[in-house]
Amino acid sequence: MNQTQLKTSTLATANPQLLAAALFVVLVGLWELLVRQSGISALVLPAPSAVATTLWTQLGNGYFWPHVRATLFTLLLGLTAGSVTGLLMGMALAESALLERVFKPYVVVSQVVPKLALAPLFVLWFGFGATSIVLITALICFFPLMENTLTALKQVDPQRLQLFRMLGATRMQTLLRLKLPTGLPGILAGLRVAVVLALVGAVVGEFIGASKGLGAVIIASQGMMDTSLMFAALVLIAAIGLLLYQATLLLERLLLRPYTNRP
Amino acid sequence: MSFLNFDKVVFAYPDRPPVVAGIDWQVPAGELHCLVGRSGCGKTTLLKLAAGLLRPQSGRILLRDGELVAPGPQVGFMFQAPVLLDWHRVIDNVLLPVSLQRRPGAEDMARAQSLLGMLGLSTHAQHHPRQLSGGQQSRVALARALILDPALLLLDEPFAALDAITRADLQDDLLKMCRLRGTTVLFVTHDITEAVYVGDRIAVMHDGRIVDALPIDLPAHRTQALRHEIPFNQYCARVHAAMDRARS
Repeated sequence: MNQTQLKTSTLATANPQLLAAALFVVLVGLWELLVRQSGISALVLPAPSAVATTLWTQLGNGYFWPHVRATLFTLLLGLTAGSVTGLLMGMALAESALLERVFKPYVVVSQVVPKLALAPLFVLWFGFGATSIVLITALICFFPLMENTLTALKQVDPQRLQLFRMLGATRMQTLLRLKLPTGLPGILAGLRVAVVLALVGAVVGEFIGASKGLGAVIIASQGMMDTSLMFAALVLIAAIGLLLYQATLLLERLLLRPYTNRP
Repeated sequence: MSFLNFDKVVFAYPDRPPVVAGIDWQVPAGELHCLVGRSGCGKTTLLKLAAGLLRPQSGRILLRDGELVAPGPQVGFMFQAPVLLDWHRVIDNVLLPVSLQRRPGAEDMARAQSLLGMLGLSTHAQHHPRQLSGGQQSRVALARALILDPALLLLDEPFAALDAITRADLQDDLLKMCRLRGTTVLFVTHDITEAVYVGDRIAVMHDGRIVDALPIDLPAHRTQALRHEIPFNQYCARVHAAMDRARS
């Protein structure tokens, strides 16, 4: 085996997570180098070391924690409300052709309107603070859950439906014991999309309608021309997004265990 | 005395000629009758009518002298595919008909285990269907069809997708289980040798009608060796000839 082949095979067998971490270190290193060498103002692009210092200091002195709590609170509340409503609406529309024909156009129109453009209206109606942001987040999370539930529940194998009919199953039993378990992978895929959108909804909602939360910190740091603080808030938002996404993947793995060959 | 009675049964799908065009047929209790015929002759529709999944446009279907109006636990059904629930373990698939009626008790569990044991699946009770072979999945479907001890078992080409050896094993399993319980069976198949091997009587269907009926006078206890004997092959030839006559 020659030198090049050896290198290729080492790369192929290396742990992909290790490779991703190495890439991250290289990119941050390049960023640091670029800022130091080019003399770009910290107002435009602070060095990663400056962002890390700000992040460490503000976490240490407790500045960030109330904002992290506020963002998590609105995000989780909005995600729960939107997902549960989306799931229930998807189930209702899948079960009733009449409901689907009556409500589907309204639901689609409500989703075509950019929800973030509704934020100022929500602030006007529900006031400045958590209620408006929770509503915006819920509205954003509603659609992926509804659409995926509706599609998933309609894709049940006709022979399985016939089997349940043969066994004298009620409509509720067919829904709970056949349609929902069959549609679970699709519904969970919708939840994964909703989780990502929920973070966007909560943060952008805070831009407009809140004095607390990481979105509000970004707007405040813009006013104070503290770009390091803005980047530190972005790092926290990315970390929350990553954690929530991983939590959703874990939930998916747990719930879908009976569907896979994993022990 | 007939247990299942088709009385001038007619059925047509909307805007199409009748698929079942005036069937008169009686299945006495404890007998196994086979329906053979070419694709599209109306076999599966007749079976769905017997299951109560479809309602005849005219005529009636009597089960134990009462008119059959809807599907229910009195009838067991096996489809062309095993139709198991992937997310349930084998034992839960077998217990599905019970769990849709009530919470399965210790007696139900013991019964399911005993059925699996008789079908050689005792060690697979806690496995998921995807961990089983096609033949094993069909056995699970048979155990599920029998768990409520139905008086009537309806089978729609349940072994068609299996290889010849597995199919022969399953035919033996089916005969053993049904003889033991005295279950009345209506078996739809396009395989003539299968029909002669398992059937007490064979109805040949063509264009929605039963055009010929042959009683099979072979020993009640059937073994695979029977397939190589002259009477068995003569019956196969007679069924084949009846199907050819119907077509011409």
